[in-house]
This record gives sequence, structure tokens and C-alpha cells, in this order.
Amino acid sequence: MSSHFTEMQLDALRELANIGSGTASTSLSGMLGRSVDISVPAAAAVSFADAIELIGPPEEEVTGVAIGVVGEMDGIVLLLMRTEAAAVLCGMLGVDAESEMGQSAIGEIGNIVGTAYLNAFAQMTGLTLEPSPPQSATDMLGAIVSTVLAGVCGDDDLALILDSDLRVEGEDCNVSFLMVPTREGVEELLGRLGLGS
Amino acid sequence: MSLDETMVRMGEMAVSREPGDTLVALGLGSCIGLALVDPRPGIAGLAHVVLPESAGRDERVGRFADHAVPALVEQLQRLGAVRPRLKAILVGGASMFALGGNALDVGPRNEAAVREQLTALRISVVATETGGSRGRTIRVDVQTGRVTAREAGGIEAELFAGAPVRLALGAAA
Repeated sequence: MSSHFTEMQLDALRELANIGSGTASTSLSGMLGRSVDISVPAAAAVSFADAIELIGPPEEEVTGVAIGVVGEMDGIVLLLMRTEAAAVLCGMLGVDAESEMGQSAIGEIGNIVGTAYLNAFAQMTGLTLEPSPPQSATDMLGAIVSTVLAGVCGDDDLALILDSDLRVEGEDCNVSFLMVPTREGVEELLGRLGLGS
Repeated sequence: MSLDETMVRMGEMAVSREPGDTLVALGLGSCIGLALVDPRPGIAGLAHVVLPESAGRDERVGRFADHAVPALVEQLQRLGAVRPRLKAILVGGASMFALGGNALDVGPRNEAAVREQLTALRISVVATETGGSRGRTIRVDVQTGRVTAREAGGIEAELFAGAPVRLALGAAA
């Protein structure tokens, strides 16, 4: 863990992620007609190099859906799932994961679930947040996550990562949820929580 | 067969002249894996460049193209590499997400910035696998200077052959 944030600040961020992913799981559950469990979220402030390792094996093939966030806190929400999990989700919606329909279904799942997460975040903090259209890619985990980190965190070599997992009950299907705010976004967020520096 | 793989993570760089060493950057997206090799003595370096410009910051030298390229050359020279003999191989710089023209589209700018630095140092680029939308892994064999790249779901392909390992017999020539 990093010395850039106090344990109290990280606790508060973890709690936010928890509520965000709870709302997201409800929306995913509604879409699939199945129950969806959430894990205890992790909040970590780490260097770019450490961030990738924290998230998963760099060469593992995953599908990522990135939703840009602009407003009073800029950042990106990134949903990550192994290709097998993407196939399970598509199967539950009755589309072939390999087809164009499958890609678009995954983008749409990302959009709905990501927006639900963001709405919960906005309500809790009083921040005005606006999502941009989702962009998806299926590729190496390292390639997807590093591109998001470079784009969001830019010249700071510090990424605040809020990580939660959603698991579809009875299926081998996990979706990881990462919220990566910009440095200014983090300050704004902590300020709203009364934990600003 | 590599005896030892050195992972060069985001913003890091590594140099070596140990026979059997392999320098690796896994899952490059918009980042550039810049390999500089001097195959004759068997010296190689790899930088995992994240962004084009440092804009005056000088913290981690591997992260920005304008710091990373000169720093990598300097470290190689300290190991005994000769600058005019250095060959550059570039991998990465992809646009991972379909919609271009935003913050996530830093790949092409990274490549341009690395090339600009190489031109200034008069180092020739002998092979590239850049652009497009796929993530890649680069491997550099230190002893021979052989460089390979692999795309997601693909097989490892040779980008630069380097110099064959000299056998004891050949050394007499």
C-alpha cells in the first residue's frame, strides 16, 4: 500500500467501491435474471508497474470495456472479464460471443453495469459525473490496463485503483470492476468525503 | 532457450550483457517496447515507454520517450556498447480502443516521440511492429540481439535476427 493515502482514506474509497459494485451487481442481475455476488473491494494506490500485476497476469486474454468519466471527477471505469466469462455472459443473453452481436452485447453490458456503478458513486459523493460511450477490446490484460493507465493517470506514476469483483451465481463468470480516477479526480473525491488533504 | 527472463514493466528499463538473459515486456498496448541491440559483443537493452513527453519532470526515466531513449543509450554505452553499432527495434504503440482521437490513443504519439529521439542520436530503426489495435509482447535475446514479438492469441515471430552465436570454431576465422 502506498503512503500517498491514509488508511482512513482508502477505507472510505473501499466503501464507495462497495456501494458502487453493489448497485452494479443489481443491474447485472436484472439483465441476466440470475443472482450476482460481489467480493470485498480492494483500494490501492500503486505505481503503474505494480498496478498491472495487482490486476492479473499481463498476457492473459481478457475482454475490457472502458467507460470514460468526465465531470467533477475525471477517470475511467474499466470492466474486465476473461474471454470465457464474456462467452458465458453472451450465452445467457442468447448471442454468440464471437459474432459482432456478441461484441456489441458485451459493450452494452459494460455500459449498463458501468453506468449503474457511476450513478451510485455520483449519488454518494454529490459529484456530477458523465459517462462517455463504452469502448471495448479483447486482448492481453497488460495491453488493455496499461493503455487505460497511460491515458488516465498520464504523467503521474501513481494509479488509485478501486477493484471489485462480480460473480454470476452458478457460473464460472467473474467480472472485475476497476475505477481509475485522475489525480485531480482523486483529490476532488476525497474532498467531497471530507477526507481531503 | 532462455535461462533467465528479466521483466521490464511499465516505465522501467533494463540492460544486460549476460549470455542467456532475455529482456521481456509483456502486454504492450499504447506503450512502446524499445529494444536497442549491439549484437557483436552481445549487449542489449529494453525500455517500456509509457508516454511521449516528460514536460520537465525527471522522476522515473523509463516512462517518457524523451528521457528513456537517451538514458537507455547511456546505460548500454556503460556496458560497452558502441552507439553507431546500435540497432533499434520498436514494438507496441497500438490504439487499443476502437475510437481514436482521445486520451487512450497515445500509441502513435509514443512511436513518433521514440523515433524522433532515435533520429537525434543517429540510431537506425531496423524493424518495427507498431500501430494497429493489438497488444504485443517483445522478447530480446541479449547474446544474439534476436528480437521476437507476439500478438494476443498469436505465435512468436522473429522481428530481427541479430547475430548468430559464434561457435568456438568460427572464432578462428
